[in-house]
Amino acid sequence: MVSKMSRTLLRVVAASLAVCAFSFLAFAQEDPDPNSPTPILMSENGSTRALAVSSRELGKASLSRVSPRAFALNSKVVFFVTNIDLMKGEGANAFRIYIEDAKGRQYRFPVLSLEPVPGIDGLYSIVVRLKDDIGYWGPPTADGDVLVSLTWRGLVSNRVKLGLGRVGGDIKDDQGAVPTPIGTMAERLKAARNISPDYIGYRWSGDRSRFMEQATFGPESNLDNRIRRIGLKTWLAEQFQAQYPSVGNPYPNQPLKPGTPPANCDNEQTITPDVPVTCFRDTYTMYPIQQWNSYEQLYGSAQLRHRVAWALSEMWVNSGVDIQQSRHMVEYHKILSANAFGNYRNLMKQMTLSPTMGDYLSMAFSTKNSPNENYAREIMQLFTVGLFMLNPDGTQQIDASNNPIPTYDQNVVNNLTKVLTGWTLCNSGCPNSVSGTANYIDPMVLVTGNHDLTAKTLLSYPGSTTTNIAACTGCNTAAITTYANNSMDQALDNIFNHPSLGPYVSKNLIQQMVTSDPTPAYVGRIAAVFNDNGFGVRGDMQAVVKAILLDREARGDVKTDPNFGKLREPVQLATNILREFNVRSASGLLQSDGVIFQRGEYTGMGQIPFRSPTVFNYYSPGYIIPGTSTLGPEFGLMTTGTTIQRANFVNQMVFNNIAAASPDRPNGTSLDLSDLQAISTSDASGNLLMDELNRRMTHGTLSSQMRNTILTAVTNIAASSPLTRAQQAVYLVATSSQYQVQR
Amino acid sequence: MKETRRDFLKKTGTCALGMAAMATQMHHLGMMSAMAQKVIDAQTDSPDTTYKALVLMFWQGGNDSNNMVIPNHSDATISNYAAYSAARGTQGLAIPQASLLPISVPRLGGLTYGLHPNLGPLVQNGTTIVNNGIHELYGLGKLGIVANVGNLVRPLTKAQYQSSLFQKPYQLFSHSDQVTQSQTSIASTQSFTGWGGRVSDKMTASNNPGGLIPMITSIAGAQLFTSGQTTLPLAISDSNTPLANVLNPAGFTNTGGPARLTAFNSLRTQDLSSNYIAAASHVTDLAMAANTALATALDVTTVFPTTSIGRQLKQVARLIKDRTDLTVNRQIFYVQIGSFDTHTSQLPTQISLYTQFSQAMRSFYDELTLQGIQNDVTTFTLSDFGRTLNPAGSGATVGTDHAWGNHMFAMGGSVLGGDVYGSQRPDGTGNYLPTLTLGGSDDTDTGTAPRGRWIPTTSVDQYAATLSRWFGLAQDSTTLSQVFPNLANFPGTFSQLGFLP
Repeated sequence: MVSKMSRTLLRVVAASLAVCAFSFLAFAQEDPDPNSPTPILMSENGSTRALAVSSRELGKASLSRVSPRAFALNSKVVFFVTNIDLMKGEGANAFRIYIEDAKGRQYRFPVLSLEPVPGIDGLYSIVVRLKDDIGYWGPPTADGDVLVSLTWRGLVSNRVKLGLGRVGGDIKDDQGAVPTPIGTMAERLKAARNISPDYIGYRWSGDRSRFMEQATFGPESNLDNRIRRIGLKTWLAEQFQAQYPSVGNPYPNQPLKPGTPPANCDNEQTITPDVPVTCFRDTYTMYPIQQWNSYEQLYGSAQLRHRVAWALSEMWVNSGVDIQQSRHMVEYHKILSANAFGNYRNLMKQMTLSPTMGDYLSMAFSTKNSPNENYAREIMQLFTVGLFMLNPDGTQQIDASNNPIPTYDQNVVNNLTKVLTGWTLCNSGCPNSVSGTANYIDPMVLVTGNHDLTAKTLLSYPGSTTTNIAACTGCNTAAITTYANNSMDQALDNIFNHPSLGPYVSKNLIQQMVTSDPTPAYVGRIAAVFNDNGFGVRGDMQAVVKAILLDREARGDVKTDPNFGKLREPVQLATNILREFNVRSASGLLQSDGVIFQRGEYTGMGQIPFRSPTVFNYYSPGYIIPGTSTLGPEFGLMTTGTTIQRANFVNQMVFNNIAAASPDRPNGTSLDLSDLQAISTSDASGNLLMDELNRRMTHGTLSSQMRNTILTAVTNIAASSPLTRAQQAVYLVATSSQYQVQR
Repeated sequence: MKETRRDFLKKTGTCALGMAAMATQMHHLGMMSAMAQKVIDAQTDSPDTTYKALVLMFWQGGNDSNNMVIPNHSDATISNYAAYSAARGTQGLAIPQASLLPISVPRLGGLTYGLHPNLGPLVQNGTTIVNNGIHELYGLGKLGIVANVGNLVRPLTKAQYQSSLFQKPYQLFSHSDQVTQSQTSIASTQSFTGWGGRVSDKMTASNNPGGLIPMITSIAGAQLFTSGQTTLPLAISDSNTPLANVLNPAGFTNTGGPARLTAFNSLRTQDLSSNYIAAASHVTDLAMAANTALATALDVTTVFPTTSIGRQLKQVARLIKDRTDLTVNRQIFYVQIGSFDTHTSQLPTQISLYTQFSQAMRSFYDELTLQGIQNDVTTFTLSDFGRTLNPAGSGATVGTDHAWGNHMFAMGGSVLGGDVYGSQRPDGTGNYLPTLTLGGSDDTDTGTAPRGRWIPTTSVDQYAATLSRWFGLAQDSTTLSQVFPNLANFPGTFSQLGFLP
């Protein structure tokens, strides 16, 4: 194993090579202004009451003479919106209409259509059905005014009043709300669009930070400078080609554990002590891959590939709870990382033949006489198409009685199970076969006598081609091999070409990287890229990742939509804070050893890398936050217990460190707050400290109230203790819900 | 009666929270006004100040109860050991008859069945008995079996199952969906609330006025079972951490600590227009309030196993012991034991899991007896689903696949134990347990390779309603239809499974 010191040296050399290699890229690919305009809902003249007509009146009533009126539940109502800048194909499903009633309950109404209003440039009519489409509270009561807002690309409009059932009631306007009548529209648009388009590199600092949170394991100052210099697209192009794993941090390369491990490496120290004493840990446990993974997260230069591989690992879950050797997990991770920018079809095939997956989901034990459904079920349910038929924008298809339509039934599972019978670990005859040792390195191989030779049916869906596999009758061994391999490819093609695959995978990756509850329009745009990368190729992950990160819903300096963003999962929370503050060893002289995953505060947050409790991941992509109807997958790990552990992890890192302690933690881990200390020293008011943290941690969105609250706590400490002041401020920002949520 | 906010505060006991937290709560998600509204819907009977608790023990992954409750007789009119052995023996999955722990079933004419051998005394080092496990409790009448329970929208015969005219649970045999359904007791459609949470919604105001912690506690993280519309659970880690420390934020005692704590609390009242920020702040508020309440909690004396499930139940026992100081009259707990998804290597896995389960359950029962509260606490099981009678694979790695109906245990001083409950099967044999015949009248499967997936004869709704009635949930039709919306599809004796008074 390469020592930490030489790793560090390698990193320095590699970094300078990288600079040379890219120095001729003096002109960056051009990035557009990431900011979308903030939509404005039109009000009546002189009030904040929505300009609204019933859908029957659209095009008939004069918009200048609309009188206040109430609308019945389930009726169709037309609102008017301006200051939106639609892309080609962007329509109704890019918008959501929320209402809040006087009881404080939130509902969402379906948007039926969006059309330009003839004769008024920049004004759109938006038709909405007044029927809650979430169903959490049951239908709202139609007994008075409600507040209506509209969201688009992560931005929320002003809120206007609407009479539901009757006009009037107790609900109050938002503070500072002003009328937004059509008469003043032209001035508003002019003010809103007065943004200078000229720039060099990527100057939007709030969006840069958000981008780094989405595409890497957290912002850090050198990376921020580089992206500022070269822009997003060029950085993505670099990342797609970056060496992986990063220079100086190769994959761990332990031998597979024999049935009986050698006496000097069996974790038994009394009869024959292990050499070195940590031999078993360093060879046969999860420790090496966990440490390798931390190191790649904290210091690796191929951040994007590692991030996408991590996202994929939360879909194609495997777990050290069952798979107990690093080497097994390393081989699985190689498949994730190799295909992170490759083609999804290859990922499917390589995972299906992965011995690690074969063990975890039992396909390696499935034979024609004793079939095992585990992998066959989960590859469809979790890894590819999901349980319910999806529209191209990821919303569920519904049948005539308003119920979702299952993608498959038990019969399909049974048939796919048959297709996948007979493969098992290659314990002899493969390059890495060693007698007496289970081979988790080479792909699984077919035992022809265990393959089911009867006919099978596959998924049937609009556009499906081959949905039947004929029986293999009178086949000899060679014929069975060909038949089985062809059957597997047919079955995987059948799944790969399913119309749900694009939206299913796209939505999952968006949730992992950008936002928990993306609009259907966003999912639809990415799914379209998944379905065809522009050159007729389906499943091109490089194109998908690029599209997710450059989408207008992901980009922009400030996001105000109440449902935009995501709770940082524990792994991201930890790495984001560590990278933000120049993570290093406990002594401050070396790099961190990456062994952060053993601290009680870390494990207490509920997410130990490569130890998902089940194949359903640490949390479900469909998790609804308790007490709400908001989709928030990472909240599956957010409880009274874990929220305190999150604060305690921050406390440990900010006010203390993870001490070095041989043999488990050779270097330890600490933060470097010296730059904040210097700022704090230079400005006794604490204002510059707040400015710096606002820029680095909260994308420039720190509210004045939050700033003042923290400043009060900071100036409570004597100015003669500048480091303590910096620690105080970092603790409060990092533990705040405002930071725990990435938005 | 129109309620004032003051009335509401008294009822919900949220006045126990600090004022800062209170103010935050009022902002969160518009929850306060929504909660006030809900309280009006809640039970308004005079408060029952006796103590009762329900403890859900979830077998995560889908427990194969075909190897947990096994026929131990040779009666030819009802599935016997030979039928069981015929279905599982060749692949090596049958438990040898001699090793079964015998139980008598009065409601089946005193026929003998057998429990899995690891549900009995745990012998270590040849002689030392750790504890006697739960088998003994069956004989003492403190442990009952509820047979063939599963997620159902309405009763289903095999013919009805095979017809498209009768509604079935959505996504049968899928882990995540079946877990959701057994935790929500709603198999017809997606639900955002769990049945424990809905029971708590109805009973918190009337039964736990002034309660210092929520009615529900999970020792196993966020679980749908524990969430209602107004109920958010306490979720804490197991007994490795004392209650006084389990929600204790570190570090507020050093320089600037008090000012930091003030700011830390104040930030949670800000920027609540984001649903995500509001939700995160709300959970932290709950934690901070509970931390204060738990600062003086007591410990228990019974020795619990050092397994995860042992530590979870020990933490539950501590909270029960602290009930008076926490001013709670009703509590619901969630604990879970994992890795029942035995597609492979089922025999060694179940030996380990049943030992852990049985030993922890028995320690828990013994501790409750020590506290004198055993008659007021009922512990019951649920799982994703049962597993195929027909094995998957054979030999050393033999396992089973996903199925449906599954047997459950209920344990407690009030349980009318020592018997098997449920709905009788529709085949006229009078049995409560499925007929162990592949492709037979209880099996969803037909054709050439039936796997033996039992169509449940008792729904989770009936099981949950029986438990909830004992717990004190009002039995008017409005309450029942709100908490268990599909219960009315099981007419007649729906809340009279009979294993609780």
